[in-house]
This record gives sequence, C-alpha cells and structure tokens, in this order.
Amino acid sequence: MTSKIAWRNILRNKRRSLILIISIMIGVIAMILTDAFSVGMMQQMLTNQIGADAGYIQIHKSGYQANPSLKNSIADAGLIRAVLAKEQSSCNVSERLRTLGLVSSASNSAGVAIVGIIPGEEKKVTTIHKYIVKGNYLSENTDEILLSTATAEKLRVELGDKVVIMASRLDGSVGSEACRVAGIFETYDSGFDQTHVYIPLRTAQQMLGVPDRISEFVINPYDTKQTDLIALRLASALPHDDEVLTYKHMLPVLVMQIQVYDETIYIFYAIIAFALLFGIINTMLMAVMERTHEFGVDMAIGMSNKRIFTMILTEAIYLGIIGTAVGIAVSCAIFIPLSHSGWNLATFSESLNSLGIGTTIYPILTASSLINTVLIIPISATIGAMYPALRAMKLQPVEAIRTV
Amino acid sequence: MENKHIASEIVRVENVRKTYHDNGVPVDALRGINLVVSQKDFSVIAGPSGSGKTTLLNIIGTLDKPTEGKIFLDGEEVASKNRRELADIRLKKIGFVFQAYNLSPVLNALENIEFTMMLRGIPADERKRRGLTLMEQLGIGELADKRPNEMSGGQQQRVAVARAISNDPRLVLADEPTANLDSATAAKLLDLMEQLNHESGITFVFSSHDPQVIERAHRLFILKDGQIISDKKNV
Repeated sequence: MTSKIAWRNILRNKRRSLILIISIMIGVIAMILTDAFSVGMMQQMLTNQIGADAGYIQIHKSGYQANPSLKNSIADAGLIRAVLAKEQSSCNVSERLRTLGLVSSASNSAGVAIVGIIPGEEKKVTTIHKYIVKGNYLSENTDEILLSTATAEKLRVELGDKVVIMASRLDGSVGSEACRVAGIFETYDSGFDQTHVYIPLRTAQQMLGVPDRISEFVINPYDTKQTDLIALRLASALPHDDEVLTYKHMLPVLVMQIQVYDETIYIFYAIIAFALLFGIINTMLMAVMERTHEFGVDMAIGMSNKRIFTMILTEAIYLGIIGTAVGIAVSCAIFIPLSHSGWNLATFSESLNSLGIGTTIYPILTASSLINTVLIIPISATIGAMYPALRAMKLQPVEAIRTV
Repeated sequence: MENKHIASEIVRVENVRKTYHDNGVPVDALRGINLVVSQKDFSVIAGPSGSGKTTLLNIIGTLDKPTEGKIFLDGEEVASKNRRELADIRLKKIGFVFQAYNLSPVLNALENIEFTMMLRGIPADERKRRGLTLMEQLGIGELADKRPNEMSGGQQQRVAVARAISNDPRLVLADEPTANLDSATAAKLLDLMEQLNHESGITFVFSSHDPQVIERAHRLFILKDGQIISDKKNV
C-alpha cells in the first residue's frame, strides 16, 4: 500500500513529476551518449593506429622498441619464423624492415620513416591498402613507393613520378633507391601520413644492404581477444633477445589515455549525479512542504517516522527508475541508428584527423556505462530524497496538522 | 502510580499545564487540568473558542506534550514516551476524527479506511473485508471507490469515523467533528457515533461547542481560559 500511495502521489502533480522525470532522463541520456561517443572515439583511435601500422603484436630484437635503428634489426629471423609457423592457425603474420630516412623529389625533400613491407602479407595485418586514394597499392619486388597525400603535396609529385629515398646503412654509408610513385594514401591520422612511406621489403633490404634483415614481425590474431595469450605463448617460445610486444606496449600513450578516461568518466558521472541531486532535493522538498498537513494527519493516525521516510524515498526511487528507464530507451533510440551510420563530424575533420580519428564517429555502448547509469541515477534520486524525507520525519504532528 | 488507576478508566489527566510562547510572551493554554474519562463514556469537552479544548484533546491524543503534568491512557503514562512509542500508542489505542475530515486525497474511501489497518500490519484480504463491513455498517457501502473530492462533507466524515474505528481503538477523539456539516448531517453522524458507543463500547471524547454535540454528552467538561470550570456526569 505504501508503494500504491507513493505512486499516486507521483501522479498527483503530473507536471512536476514530469519535469523531474525529464531532467533525470536528460541526465541519463547525457551519461550514456557522452560515454558511448567517447568510448567510440577512443576505440577508433586505437583501432586506426593498430590497423594502419602497429598491428596487435610485434616481435623485435630486444631493445628495438627503445632504439628503433637498423643496428637493432633482426639478423637471423629463422627461429622466429619457425615459432610463428606453429601459430599459423591463430594469426596472420607479416615482416617489415623500417628505417628513418629522406624522400626527395626535384622540388623538395621530407624526413620520413621508410617502411619496407611484403605487400601481399601486409594486407592481412594492416589496413594501409584501404587508404589508397590515388593509384594502386604496391606490387611485390618492384621499385614502387606509396606516399601520403601530404608528402606528395610537399614533394610536389604525382602518380608515376620518380622520387629518391635515402637512408643510412649499417656500415654508415648512405643507401638510396629511385622509386616510382605507385599510389597515394590518406589515413585518418595526419601526423602518421606526414611521416610514413611504404616500399617493398626487398627494395628496402637492397637499399640498406641487409638482404636478410628485418625490423619487425607484425602479427594479427584472428581473434583479437587472444592477443595477450598469443603474445605470452610467443614470448615463452622465443629467446630473451627477442621482444614480443602487444599494442598496449607499442601505443602506451593511447592505452593510458583510455585508462585515464575510464577513471575520469566517474567525475563526469559525479557532476551529473550532483546536478540531479539538487533537482530532486528541490522537487521532493516542495512535495513534502505541500503535504505537511497530510503528514501531520498520517502521524496522528499512527504512521511511524520510518514509514513516512520510506514513503518519500519510495516516490523518489520510482521517479528515478522511470526517468532512468525512459532515458535508457531514448538513448538506445539515438544510439542504435548512430552505431550503424556513425555520426558525421566532417566539420571538425582537421582536429579529428590530427588525433587519428575519422570524421565519422561510431558510438560504442558498454555494459559498464549502462550498469553505472542504472546504479548512479536511482541512487542519486534516493539520496536526493533523504533530506526532504528527514525534514518530514521531524515534523511535529500537531503543528503539521495546523499547516494549511 | 499506574496501579492507582482503576480498570474502567481510559483517560486520566493530572495537573496538566500547557504554555505556549507567542513572540517570547508565555501564554497559558491549559492551567492545571484534571479529568478522568471512563471506558464507554461519550464525553464532550466544551467551551468557547480559545478556551483550550483542542489543545487538551491534542494532549490526550499524544499529538502534543504538556508543559507540566501527566497523562495516562489505559493506565499507561504517556507524556514521557518518545515519538515512536507515541505513534504506536496512537495507532493501537486511539482513533481520530478531525473537523476537516483529513482523508488522504490520493486514496479512495475504502483505501482510507484500510490505511490505518495497513499500518498495523493487517493482511490485505482482512483489511478489505473489515473495511467493507465497516462501510456497510456506517451506511456508506456504495462509496468504496470514491475519492474524497467525490464525496460530500457528511460522507467524508463517515469515512473518517470508519477509519478511526477500523483498528478497534480503546478511544476515539473527535475534534469539532460537526463543525463543517449542516445540522441534519451532523445529527446523523452523531447518531452513528452514539450507536457505535452503545453497541461496540467505544469511548468517545469530543471537543465541541456545537449544542447538538453537547446535548448528547454523557459527561460534559466545560473549559474556560484553560481551566475546567464544570464537570457534569449523565447530563
């Protein structure tokens, strides 16, 4: 019966209840969608960086991560290849030779990371082939090069033009190759684009005079949830002078950014809960003050303070639950279509690209976001109703009955 | 002290004073009241406005505390009890009928009657059965689904009486119960209360200056300036 009375009291002042439900709903929508877009944005940053270059796992010679020079490249990759052969059923593998160097045209030159890849294998571990905006992807064993739009513009070259790449060899001499621009790529990360060029692995090895050396193996598990497990398996099968790194080690800043977000989102939740708290205190206080006379009568006929407290809290919990349920429903109605079509933020393309995010953000709704919302909002409503409920409990029956 | 009270006493008021402070100025609402109400009494506390009738009724009903003196309800001293204990006493031993009916506007007639039974923890089926029986007994059986704003003053007051007696209280306190009713409706209500007094043995204490109420009193206390100036039995 207490819940029946609480419910009828909610319906009694429909406009006020509706305003409170709408404010709770807006809080819920803000919590869910802000989190969904933030998670989506960060997941895209991570996926783009993993997809464009890093891959999920890399194997280097120990010390390469700290000092990525040719000197720290892998001279004899036989053992690693043998170990990786056993993982054929669980992942794709590609090999690369990477060095810092210069790419020059007749007009200009640019300092870049020259990445030698096996074009066919690379397709299986990264997505650079998907970002070709002009021309074609690399062929095997040719003198072709892939440049980004930004680099091509800087060098003032077009498809088919020749550029020269130069880099230091192991012995200190300078190796160079003339390459024809086969394709121009453009990823979501303008910083990455300005600093990377791709050539076939054989061309890189030939230019650097290291026909058998490679810098890294890039490994992408078929099931990316198995990344840590596979990395652990590889690390235990390889000698200590090889380092097995997951994307968490290779992209520490981004991973830390996500961890920091996961913690700081609670500050955002707290701000919303705090704002709601005051709304609920205000509304419930008004409701209690309007019903002072009724509470006096209830006390007179024997209603205990505890029951009065419970009744007011029940009203607030109902309002919290309704507002949360409607908020979740509206959030889902916004989220579901946007999760398929994405939210086009082309207006902010420059800043988004500098962060390595595409212009279309695909929100991701996490279970933790929903659980936090379902817990935080009704709890805030309950806490918010406590002060008005305590005030109602302190009413003196005889004075309350006199209140009109 | 409690042993002094004889079994037939339901209310004993001993040397009760009540002083209010109006902007720091003490105002004596009750000045040394002594009275005894016996079981099955149909008592009226009468007096002009401001004589302290309602204050006395509120103190007997444990809604207010005396500044001095003692109140015994059913042999139990109540002035020193805490809020929770007083709420429990009111729930189990006292029924209230107010001048303005004071039914819950969000509950229908039957639910208003059931409400006090619910507070006592009586199961829903039993509540409903007793509530409907009471409504039939009080001639308002057809009003079960009506909300207070759909009932006349007389009907609301009958529901209030039903609510007051629904928990089988030892005592019903009625504060000016006929003040908002026309004389015909007031007479019917008083008939009903007299009937309950005779048939169920419920003790009634009224505060009123309505001659219709006063003339039905078995016992009449007349209050003036916070003091009982007359205590008549079998009037």
